[in-house]
Amino acid sequence: MIDSILLVDDEDLFHLVFEDACSLLDMTLSLEALNSSDEAEKLFKQWFIEGPVEDRPQCVFVDLNIIGSSFDGIELIRKINYEYGNGVVIGIISSSDDSQEIEKAKEVGAQFWIIKSDEIEPRLEEFLKDYNNYVNKTQSFKVYK
Amino acid sequence: MIEITEHTRNVLLEVAKKKKIYVEGNFLKILKAPPGDVEFSNYLKVCKEKDSNARKKRLDVTKQVQAQNKELEQAAEQNETLMFDLKIALDQAEKAKEEAEKSKAEAEKLRDDAVEDLETLQKKSQFELVGRIVKIALIVILGVGVITTLLFAYTLISGQENPILESTWSNLFGILLTNSFSIVGTIMGVKYATGDKES
Repeated sequence: MIDSILLVDDEDLFHLVFEDACSLLDMTLSLEALNSSDEAEKLFKQWFIEGPVEDRPQCVFVDLNIIGSSFDGIELIRKINYEYGNGVVIGIISSSDDSQEIEKAKEVGAQFWIIKSDEIEPRLEEFLKDYNNYVNKTQSFKVYK
Repeated sequence: MIEITEHTRNVLLEVAKKKKIYVEGNFLKILKAPPGDVEFSNYLKVCKEKDSNARKKRLDVTKQVQAQNKELEQAAEQNETLMFDLKIALDQAEKAKEEAEKSKAEAEKLRDDAVEDLETLQKKSQFELVGRIVKIALIVILGVGVITTLLFAYTLISGQENPILESTWSNLFGILLTNSFSIVGTIMGVKYATGDKES
């Protein structure tokens, strides 16, 4: 089980879906959902300045196109990986399966790409199986279709 | 994992029994029944079952709403496309209408030009006809005048004066003169009348 997860997605309804799916899969103890990449960046910036804190997430799921944000999910991953070096397990969760975007995400250090669909649970279940390998950095980039 | 105290355990079981209120959410995941406490273990099982059922129900509903939202978005996109097509069709129709109006105006202009040409042609032929009539009339007037004058001059020169010829010449000359003025007056009148119609 993952202690804490952060979801960054502009769609409130998906927050509920994700929360329930995670709960049913016993995936996490704590889930925080944010609507914009700016808010997420602010948090990571704060953690970077203040040092390690207990409540920071272990795993981050970022939507690709976050409406109402200054930058997209790929840029957020780049910032978290290269500017605020937190070493969290981080990847994209999006309805898109655009290969160019997937490549871009890989380049900025995303570890996985989960494609949103009506049946998200099987993908999250598969992800959960691989989670420890992501933490150990032994799992190569994977797309959950 | 949290092992709860005897008091808390009893309170939780009591609340569940009397008020049907159960622990739910992620807090359940960190609660642990003391070893050998079957009653509390069963309570936690019921709590988890209830929580799981509630979440499944909510997940189904949110998924349905998501699907409906998706359909609505697609319908909105289709509507937008239709509106766009409609706008294009409307623009084309307006363009066609403008072109038709332009063609109509051109056709009307051509018709007006043709009518004008026809009128000019008619006037020209009328004018030529009038000119010819005037010419012939003048020739006749002059011819008759010259002939009678020559005849009258011949009688005067040859000494064969004839009172009938004299009176005929003077009458004829008077009549011809009057008629010629009458013809000129008629022509002027016709010309004036035609000019009025034009204006």
